[in-house]
Amino acid sequence: MLHKGRFDGWRGVALVAITYVYFLIFAQFGFLKRLQELGLEGTHLKAVMGAMAAGGILASLLAPFLPFLKSSGRRLQAALFGAGAAAALTLLRLNSASCIAVSFLIGISLGLLTVTLVANLPLWIGVKQPLLKVGLGTGIGYFLCNYPPLFTATPAAIAITAASAALLGILFANPVAVTPSTHSNTAIRQRGAPAFALVLVWFTALVWFDSAAFFIIQNSPALKAGTWEGTGHLWRTGGIHLAAAIASAGLLRWRGLPATLSIAFASLAGACLLLLHPAHAGAAAFLYPAGVSLYSVALVAYPSFLMPGFADRERVRRAGWIYAVAGWIGSAMGIGMAQNLHRVPPAFIAAAATLFFLPWIWWAVHHFRREAVAIVAVVAISFGIQHVLSPKDASRKPVNRVTAVQAGRRVYISEGCINCHSQYVRPHSPDVQMWGPVGDLEAIRREKPPLIGNRRQGPDLSEVGSRRSPLWLRIHLMDPRAVSYESVMPNYSYLFKSGRGDALVAYLGSLKSPQSGQHLRGVMNNWQPSAASIAGADRLDGSKLFKEHCATCHEAGGEARTRWAASFTRLPPNLATDHLLYIPTNEGSAQLRARIATIIKFGLPGTNMPGHEYLPDAQIEAIAKWVVAMRGKS
Amino acid sequence: MSRASHDHDAVRPIQPEARETSVLAAAAWHSLAWLVVANVIGVWLALLLLYPAAGSWLGEWSYGRWMPVHLNFQLYGWISLPLVAWLLKVYQAERGFAAHWSRGALWLWSLALTVGAYSWLNGHSSGKLFLDWTGYSRVFFPASIFFLWLVLAGAFLQHFRSPENASAAIRGAKLLGLALLALVPVAIYMAADPSIYPPVNPDSGGPTGASQLESVLVIVLILFLLPYGITRRGPRGKQWITAAWILFVLECLLCLGLGRRDVSHHRPTQFISLGSLLVWVPLIPAYYSGFCWHRNTRQWRIAVLAWWALLIPTGWCLFLPGVLDHLKFTDGLVGHSLMAMAGFVTSLLILLLVVLLGDDGDVFDSRWAFFAWQSATFAYVVIMLLAGWIEGNDPTFTMVPSAMRNAIYGLRLVLGVAMTAASCNWLLRLTMRMRTTTIRSHRSSSTTRSLREAASV
Repeated sequence: MLHKGRFDGWRGVALVAITYVYFLIFAQFGFLKRLQELGLEGTHLKAVMGAMAAGGILASLLAPFLPFLKSSGRRLQAALFGAGAAAALTLLRLNSASCIAVSFLIGISLGLLTVTLVANLPLWIGVKQPLLKVGLGTGIGYFLCNYPPLFTATPAAIAITAASAALLGILFANPVAVTPSTHSNTAIRQRGAPAFALVLVWFTALVWFDSAAFFIIQNSPALKAGTWEGTGHLWRTGGIHLAAAIASAGLLRWRGLPATLSIAFASLAGACLLLLHPAHAGAAAFLYPAGVSLYSVALVAYPSFLMPGFADRERVRRAGWIYAVAGWIGSAMGIGMAQNLHRVPPAFIAAAATLFFLPWIWWAVHHFRREAVAIVAVVAISFGIQHVLSPKDASRKPVNRVTAVQAGRRVYISEGCINCHSQYVRPHSPDVQMWGPVGDLEAIRREKPPLIGNRRQGPDLSEVGSRRSPLWLRIHLMDPRAVSYESVMPNYSYLFKSGRGDALVAYLGSLKSPQSGQHLRGVMNNWQPSAASIAGADRLDGSKLFKEHCATCHEAGGEARTRWAASFTRLPPNLATDHLLYIPTNEGSAQLRARIATIIKFGLPGTNMPGHEYLPDAQIEAIAKWVVAMRGKS
Repeated sequence: MSRASHDHDAVRPIQPEARETSVLAAAAWHSLAWLVVANVIGVWLALLLLYPAAGSWLGEWSYGRWMPVHLNFQLYGWISLPLVAWLLKVYQAERGFAAHWSRGALWLWSLALTVGAYSWLNGHSSGKLFLDWTGYSRVFFPASIFFLWLVLAGAFLQHFRSPENASAAIRGAKLLGLALLALVPVAIYMAADPSIYPPVNPDSGGPTGASQLESVLVIVLILFLLPYGITRRGPRGKQWITAAWILFVLECLLCLGLGRRDVSHHRPTQFISLGSLLVWVPLIPAYYSGFCWHRNTRQWRIAVLAWWALLIPTGWCLFLPGVLDHLKFTDGLVGHSLMAMAGFVTSLLILLLVVLLGDDGDVFDSRWAFFAWQSATFAYVVIMLLAGWIEGNDPTFTMVPSAMRNAIYGLRLVLGVAMTAASCNWLLRLTMRMRTTTIRSHRSSSTTRSLREAASV
């Protein structure tokens, strides 16, 4: 008979949360920071962490055989007391030997705590919606660990928090009045219970990936910055943990253990793949906490609620094996891999995935033998054909044998620039003035492939090399909105971490025809805004347009002007005060306005001043008028 | 036959032999799954146009890399696989020994598309829109198509003397079809070659009138062929069918006469010959009236013909001198492409799937999903044409976000979500049906019975 009513499960939720907080924020994190403070590193550090693992494994495996503390509640209280005492001891000035001893105590306490808790969970969590409560406890635990003030607290503060949490746990874990004779009736009916050995392998793989990913992120500044550094990231990670933990409870209830663990594995394996490149850290920051919370709920719930009915002693024994092998050894293996390789190799992920999904693969091959054979055969034959054909595939020419412009063209194709930019000036159309001159169709046809495009989400680029300087192109690719007001262009700063960005700039700079200079001069000389545009300019707010399109370079505190000051050979003039190099000083107001308008419209070829060819003439006129007025005032 | 009338056998679990017979349902499931994924990506792209900074969440998988994934999933996933299902049905590869291999072919197709997506997301592309295949995926995808061809050929040989192939004309037509289909993998491999490029309209940078005529005639041919093998001729409309085929031959001759050259849309021969397509606006409905249709198809047939009636005249108008000059490279043409793909082609493909699935085609019966899809597509087309028209006058409209532009793009996002929700509904309903009931074989008398009932159409 189970204890009901007085507890309603909230003690269980709290105990699960406390255990996770203690383990995650103190044993895995704060304690390590404390050891660093104490100057422990290298072999000493390994010895200390090894002692914790040894304690954990020992306590997990020996828990069912302990001759004392027969009551689960008393045993849990003892474990919490040990854990709290160990946390408090870390506040002292410890030497290597005492660190090993404290670490061993942490391991022993955690081993006893986890195995006792998960094997007897119905005592504290009850039988009503137990999975949801486990999910809630796990989610709250992870959420609290990501609570920014706690996550960024000093080791001492973390140790005090962990000790206090353990103390609180002692209060919640007081022995219940009625001890259940068996938990066999608490197991929730699952769709086909998997064998224990298989579950053990699954959990080991999950903990391995979790630990490896955590270590890689924690020890790589670039990855850390993209995942859980900063308050915003921490709140997001905490939220994902909480949501995924609750979702895990639902998944376990409705889809079963194998499906839940499969999704967790896919998330963690995906995160490990994404972590191979810092640019993908943002996506990994979603997958990693989701995967961790998904399996963590199962790890807690499995012994009491998802394992087929067994006697108490057997349940504790199996829980011990899971926490010893999957929890401690899996974690050590993951950290070891991350320490030595600094990544989880894709081949290892593929092999692990094959092993993890072996039952499903076996089932699929058994039931769909012919389909499997067909797929494998076609995949293999395609590799063979591709191997034979690949030297003829010009686009596969090694990168080091191409010029910067050719490499840049490849980047242009790779990044799918064609989806937003055309390279085609239509004759007898406004294109000629904006992006001209008209190109030679035969020359375009000779390109492999022609990059004409079919949509302009941004400007035509066929003559961009004659209208934008390399510096402008670089700034625009790295931070589009710094030089183009509210641009929808993606940020391509990642290209500049390798040589791809420079190659792309070289390619774009090469996009100009021999007659482009003459064409541009002709267009500039012939351009005359219509009377309607000039009249329309009066109705526009020149000051606002100036702020949007010009201030970034031409105002004292302009963003591009400030951030890129060192890159300009000549700083763009402050249009309110500075001398204008390309405009004679003796010009009258009307002439000055006309010249400024032409420069705004078409830029200054050969300098960093870009044109704003796409802006309507009325807006150009409005800005020019504002600039003249501003200069007049100053 | 309504759902209620066959409830006695509706809840049987799928048996091994039933698995064999549900190949067509599997093809429908694969295609709908790709539609859902492509739509979700489309929503993501629409979101990026409003909040470009969100792109940084996915690192290097930026807007330009997702675009080919979105477009190719629509083309090679959603649009192609129902036609594959049709081929499996026509060549009787959905039954017997070939059924297993057909399933393999479907999975291979999807795997090839997944491999392609992975390569595009990682920056491997040929640079040709809709033909982005490069490297391994450029071989693997055609190889998957070739495997499908082998399955079809095997099934054809196996059923060579079956009652369905009794007439020499049918055998000859299927043989000719197989011969033409054998060219498809090679054609895709070759077409993805960066050095091959179709004729260019020098005044627009887009396709010539002759190229467009050619493309539409291919669609007309598909429209002509689709009823064969999945339904049968009705008592009426024979004269229309004959007239349509004669006219089709004449159009093909016109197309041949125009040749494949770089010609401007300002040339009267181009826009006048493209205008000849207007004849298909009334002729396709007349042609389809000559066949018997399952009652489940009614709303989708109406949708197909309505979109067709809109698509052809607007397509021609958009090609006219002045109009194309105004709308080229703008959202206006995006709107028209959507009218073609989401409006006409999607309605046609669902019509096809409804016929192929027989009584189980009622998974597409949801009224709200039908109206959500159709009305969202229509609204999408209208706002994109409006945006294109504004953009034609003022290119700043797209490049510098304004309240009007953001409102249009925001509305586009909402409409994209509605279309995605509708596609999810179809996928979920089909999934549930496949899990809980036996998808019937057309080997059974179900089709014959349904056709008999539908003969009144």
